[in-house]
Amino acid sequence: MTTPAIETTVLTKRYGRTWALRDCSLAVPAGRIAALVGPNGAGKTTLLHLAVGLLDPTSGSVRTLGASPRERADILARVGFVAQDAPLYAGFTVRDTLELGRHLNPTWDEDFAIERMRRHDIDLRQRAGTLSGGQRAQVALTLAVAKRPEVRVLDEPLASLDPLARREFLASLMEATAESDLTVLLSSHLVTDMERICDYLIVLSQSRVQVLGEVDTLLATHRVLTGRRKDRAEVAGAEVISASHTERQSTLFVRSTTSIPDPVWTAHEVSLEDLVLEYLAQPAASMLPGPAADGPRDSMEVRA
Amino acid sequence: MIAFRLETRSGLAPYLQLVHQTKDAMRLGLLQPGDQLPTVKEVVTSIAINPNTVLKAYRELEREGLVEGRPGVGTFVLRTLGGPNSNHPRLRRRLERWIAGARDAGLDEESISALFAATLRGSLQQEDIA
Amino acid sequence: MIWLTWRQHRQQALAAAIGLGLVAGFFLVTHPGIANTFNSTGLASCLGTPGRDCGQIADQFDRQYRGLQFLVPLFLVVPLLVGLFWGAPLVARELEQGTHRLVWTQSVTRRRWFSTKLALIACAVVVGAAVFAELVTWWSGIFVRLHDARFTPGIFDIRGIVPVAYALFALALGVLVGTLVRRTLPAMAATLGGFIAVRVLVTLFARPHYVAAKTASTPVVLAKLGGIMVGNDSFAGGWIIKQVTVDRLGNVLSGGQGLDFASLSGRCPGVIPPPPTEPSPAQLAACLDRLGVHTLTTYQPATRFWAFQGIEFAIYAVLALVMFGAAAWVVRRRLA
Repeated sequence: MTTPAIETTVLTKRYGRTWALRDCSLAVPAGRIAALVGPNGAGKTTLLHLAVGLLDPTSGSVRTLGASPRERADILARVGFVAQDAPLYAGFTVRDTLELGRHLNPTWDEDFAIERMRRHDIDLRQRAGTLSGGQRAQVALTLAVAKRPEVRVLDEPLASLDPLARREFLASLMEATAESDLTVLLSSHLVTDMERICDYLIVLSQSRVQVLGEVDTLLATHRVLTGRRKDRAEVAGAEVISASHTERQSTLFVRSTTSIPDPVWTAHEVSLEDLVLEYLAQPAASMLPGPAADGPRDSMEVRA
Repeated sequence: MIAFRLETRSGLAPYLQLVHQTKDAMRLGLLQPGDQLPTVKEVVTSIAINPNTVLKAYRELEREGLVEGRPGVGTFVLRTLGGPNSNHPRLRRRLERWIAGARDAGLDEESISALFAATLRGSLQQEDIA
Repeated sequence: MIWLTWRQHRQQALAAAIGLGLVAGFFLVTHPGIANTFNSTGLASCLGTPGRDCGQIADQFDRQYRGLQFLVPLFLVVPLLVGLFWGAPLVARELEQGTHRLVWTQSVTRRRWFSTKLALIACAVVVGAAVFAELVTWWSGIFVRLHDARFTPGIFDIRGIVPVAYALFALALGVLVGTLVRRTLPAMAATLGGFIAVRVLVTLFARPHYVAAKTASTPVVLAKLGGIMVGNDSFAGGWIIKQVTVDRLGNVLSGGQGLDFASLSGRCPGVIPPPPTEPSPAQLAACLDRLGVHTLTTYQPATRFWAFQGIEFAIYAVLALVMFGAAAWVVRRRLA
């Protein structure tokens, strides 16, 4: 396997007595569009900041493009980052903001940046502080992509955008991805949007990695089983992640590498959103071996 | 030129949706042999999906012999789908008889639809496993 | 980085340049008038002649320019302004507005970002402060000479080279506080407090001891009460740290150069009548002579002025360098 674009090993970040991230080990393969999802406070922003060198780990390590990104101008030149709420210098014009990019990034593509602004109808003379949410996101994205990075890291880029702006932003991001083989890691609450564009999923819950893997594989190996009520929620050949029962019916959310032969159960496919929600509802469940997993262990790792 | 859409609720994998939409267009004559399919970039710019999804769809269509990818140029339709006899009159008549039987058994439209969908999916899955 | 530093701070630079220009303009306009009066009233030549009593002309000149002279201590504030408006916001503002997440993920290390910004701003501060100090020294020269106050705390601090060191110190303090407090307004408040505290402490407790002070004993001068004492020549241009009037045995009779009749009346029986009658000079002189009354002055001689400037400059410059280093460390190692 080629070097993962972003790789963490037992990555931990602590602030005094609060754990922001705990023993996170994951790898984002190069060329993937990876979604980082999880509830507020799960550690998504912390993880992204660690990946771009804005934070130092308390213990463990993070490697972006094969090296620690901290104080490495050469690594930073190959990573484009947009922080939450797309911070810009409010007093700068759009033109100034692009100038900043040009002066601070040796691989800056000025024509591309200007063209992008033109295409999104953003006036170069306008002050960054007076831009709309969608325009700010586009300017910030341009700043991150015009240096032609190999990896793009985006922290909740859709959060403050209206639906139209969201679609435009995603389309813009996908267009850039289509042109070159780059890796994207973005965090979001909006799992349905993620389902359109992501082929790799990371779920963070309570500062730990809960789910990790290719979206196709995850959707192929998780099923919702419905059937007549059975008090013992066990299925041969599958790991039961959650179970709920009504008087007559049991519904199980399971993971398995094989199809469920038992005719007692009717198997349904799950959407990515359902998968994420099921896992988030079971904080103790984890796809990875580790202290968080309480139930039956399955040491199978779902990875490309 | 065909315009793709993604139905988020369809339960069908995105790339398969694109494959089916292409085939539908071909059946309806909207895509003729020699027509160029939209580039990956054009598709993702208009409907914001993963480029790999488009690539996968085009690869599947190519595998089925329906399209041909020419490097540096684009992806082009190779042949038509279904001919003047795409009506399948015999299949249609047998289907009508089956529907009549289902009505006699007391099924309403929804139950017939559900039974058909489940059976179709089941037998397709059997095909995959086989 | 040079472009970015200029673009981010050009308004501040402009404001400072305009401020400096206004001050310079004011000085240029008012100085000829002062110099003229100084010469035409004969005060210049009077002060130039040792031993002459210039009290009356000096009083008049002093009253005429009282207003302008009030301005002089205001210039003490200028280095502090550097710390407040150039130093404190430097890092704190970036953190407060989140723009550090933008600028520290461009292809530039924090080390380069910080050192370039700081170097450019510090240079501007040094140049600006030097120009300002030079202007103030020139303009206030006549007043300072009039009051013989070159070495006096308050005047010492606005002349020569120390203002440059104060400005650098204020800048460094502001930047360091900004990195620790992470918000602009609280950083400004802390810089204000810290600057004043350090300046006061150094001036009060350190400066008198840069070089061991001299002590001189002078006989009490029965000069006219009131008006300007145009000084004992041996202390001219120096810094009088402490003055007491004592008797032969060293018992303190009064502070300063004056005579406290209340304490003397017990020691010189029958010489001091109740007020408002003045004592007879001959009797008073005889009693003072009998008691051995003299003034003990602890002072720093005028010749040490530049040595003291140099020492104080070095102290503040070293403090500034240490704080710059600390701030750089915090930015590189500690900040998120």
